[in-house]
Amino acid sequence: MKFLPQSFGAKLLALFMSAVGLTQFATWAFIREFNGTQARELINDELDRTTRNFARVTADRNTLLAAAAATAARDYAVKSLFAGDDDATLATALKSIRISSTADLVAALALDGKVRAATLPGPVPDAAFADLVRRAHASPDASAKGYGLFGGELHALVLAPVHAPDIIAWMVVGFRIDDAFARRLKEQTGIDLTFFDPAGRPLATTLAPAVARDLTALLPSLHEAASSEEAVLAGTTALVRIRPLAAGGARSGTLALQYSLDEKLVPAEIAQSRQLLVAVGGMIAAIFLSLAFARGVTRPIVELVGHTRRITRGDYSIRNRSYRTDELGRLSEAFDQMSLGLAERDRVRDLLDKNVSPEVAAQLLRDGATLGGEEREVTILFADLRGFTTLSENLPPRELLTLLNRYLDRMSAEIEAHGGVIDKFIGDAIMALFGAPVPQGDAARRAVAAALAMERALAKLNTELAAEGRPPLAIGVGVNTARVVAGNIGSQRRLNYSVIGDGVNVASRLQSLTRTAEYRTNVIVSAATLRAAQPTFNTRPLGTVAVKGRAEPVEIFAIDA
Amino acid sequence: MNSNPLPAARRRLLPSFLFLCLLGHLGGAALLPASVVRVEIKDGKGQPVADAVASLVPLDRAPVIDVPAEPAVIVQDNEEFSPTVTVVVVGGKVVIPNRDKVQHHVYSLSPAKRFDIPLYKGEMKDPVVFDRPGIVALGCNIHDWMAAYVVVLATPHFAKSEAAGTAQIANLPPGRYRLEVWHQRITAPVVREVNVSSDPATQVIAVTLRELRQIRRAPETGGGAYR
Repeated sequence: MKFLPQSFGAKLLALFMSAVGLTQFATWAFIREFNGTQARELINDELDRTTRNFARVTADRNTLLAAAAATAARDYAVKSLFAGDDDATLATALKSIRISSTADLVAALALDGKVRAATLPGPVPDAAFADLVRRAHASPDASAKGYGLFGGELHALVLAPVHAPDIIAWMVVGFRIDDAFARRLKEQTGIDLTFFDPAGRPLATTLAPAVARDLTALLPSLHEAASSEEAVLAGTTALVRIRPLAAGGARSGTLALQYSLDEKLVPAEIAQSRQLLVAVGGMIAAIFLSLAFARGVTRPIVELVGHTRRITRGDYSIRNRSYRTDELGRLSEAFDQMSLGLAERDRVRDLLDKNVSPEVAAQLLRDGATLGGEEREVTILFADLRGFTTLSENLPPRELLTLLNRYLDRMSAEIEAHGGVIDKFIGDAIMALFGAPVPQGDAARRAVAAALAMERALAKLNTELAAEGRPPLAIGVGVNTARVVAGNIGSQRRLNYSVIGDGVNVASRLQSLTRTAEYRTNVIVSAATLRAAQPTFNTRPLGTVAVKGRAEPVEIFAIDA
Repeated sequence: MNSNPLPAARRRLLPSFLFLCLLGHLGGAALLPASVVRVEIKDGKGQPVADAVASLVPLDRAPVIDVPAEPAVIVQDNEEFSPTVTVVVVGGKVVIPNRDKVQHHVYSLSPAKRFDIPLYKGEMKDPVVFDRPGIVALGCNIHDWMAAYVVVLATPHFAKSEAAGTAQIANLPPGRYRLEVWHQRITAPVVREVNVSSDPATQVIAVTLRELRQIRRAPETGGGAYR
């Protein structure tokens, strides 16, 4: 099969592909955007939860530690130590409290904030707890929470009063925020945590060393006011949130929370890749569909093109066998209608050619069948079958018609052979024109030659008739040349191309004169015809005759073969 | 004055009016006993403060302290001390009988008087002698919410404010005194010099109180608790 007309198939393919492709891409982009936003929102929610969780876990743990420490300090001996000034013994008592309360750090402070003893290796400056003491003094329940760095380790602290029954001293208890604590928090929320000291050094983290290193490097560029910020850590994108570690007091460091955006987007990525697969499938389906559709459309069109070419060559036999109900089906139908119409017109043209002479038909097709005419010089030939009346009495009508047609056919052939135009048949009579509708310079000579040819043709026909045992036929021919009006004559609905005028009557009259026995001729022409024909024929003057309705007599001549 | 002169009659009356006022004032003061100082104690919101201790320490002479023979009594009842504030002079005695069915372990870790009386019921064997001035906070080692104060003074001139917030100190020899006001929730003791002879007998003292920072007695939990 020939390659389809590229343009339509290609255009359709492009259209389908772009429609499917654009839709799929738009969907893909929309879902991607949606997934991204959704993942960020989810992560931010989880960061919120973790932030709250950290605060709550720390507070709960501090409260429990404080309660445990307070219980330990209820002991009258311990209370007495707090009330007394034996710091060495107090320090050993704190060790017991630390063990029983499971705290990582216990310190005893005088009411004015002076550090008396602590479960830490080195001496602890008063300033380490000054902020806590100041805030506890101001608080209704005489306690305060905060953070502290001791020996490079971050501690969550709570300051609680020692009652006897008035507040006689302060006790600080705390737990270490280390990697293990961070991991426990991560187990609850799945969020990674990192604790930094005020200088930005990491103290505790759940992160792998490489990620923690990147985060540490990035820390100064992050903002505490942002709900979260995007950061690339060890090759993966994460949302990071940083918050100050303060617990209402002075800043003791920074808490960084993070969740891998890439990790959160994994399900979305899977969905997206599946969607991409569907998109590619859709594109392939679109290619096949559009090719099939293009073929379905172009095949009938190609067929129609072939049919058009055949119709151009005049073959109207083609019919489109189309069962389609769409526009193409209707086009096929219309095409068949057109084909039928053209065939009809050609038949009409053919009939026209048979009913009128080809010249008249051509003139009609060219100028249209309009009434009216023009005056011009035309040579009119009248031929009549002599003795037709007798013949019609002796022959059955069918045979008579056959004979008449045979005769008319031969005569017409001679007239047309000489360039004449059959104007009409009037029973057995023939009226023919030379020089109309197409002007001819030698119309008169052609007419006379046609008359002589008709005589010869009749002689031949008579030989045939004699062989058939029929009586011979005889004709009389009158030829006149005159200025007449030529054109379409008749009514609006029906008209004939013909000529009218005095010259026509003269021609008819000359034809009837051939019956005059003393003239001994079958062909009589007028002087006007003879003049126009340049006498090359054997002419014999017959004198002048009067024509009815005409003032001047007409000079006539016999033409002998 | 010249630009807006008072009526002539009014101007003549003015000196005599002032004189009458002064006379009336002195006469009014003279109506009260000269040896009494009435201290009105109010908090920051102007509300009267009860259970505040006002004392006057003579500045012109050594105080004459007469130690009462009978000890003051702080009762333990329904797991509370009563009264919560007791004032004694230096050398004063206090008994702390236990009227409850349960035992108590009364103690003080205050520098002015450290003592403890391990678990006991009923009467004490010997009264506690408070021989140094200062505030002594009493507690119970069993019941953390129990708290009482013994204010030990080096002066016989003191009074505890009533519900109306007034503390009246009588039988004062004339002279200069240091007026001190203490309350268990006071942020800082108030000290003021008062001349009993010339200063107004009514001293209004505004004190700043903090929240009560003691251990509160928790409400009983559950219906099945032991009674």
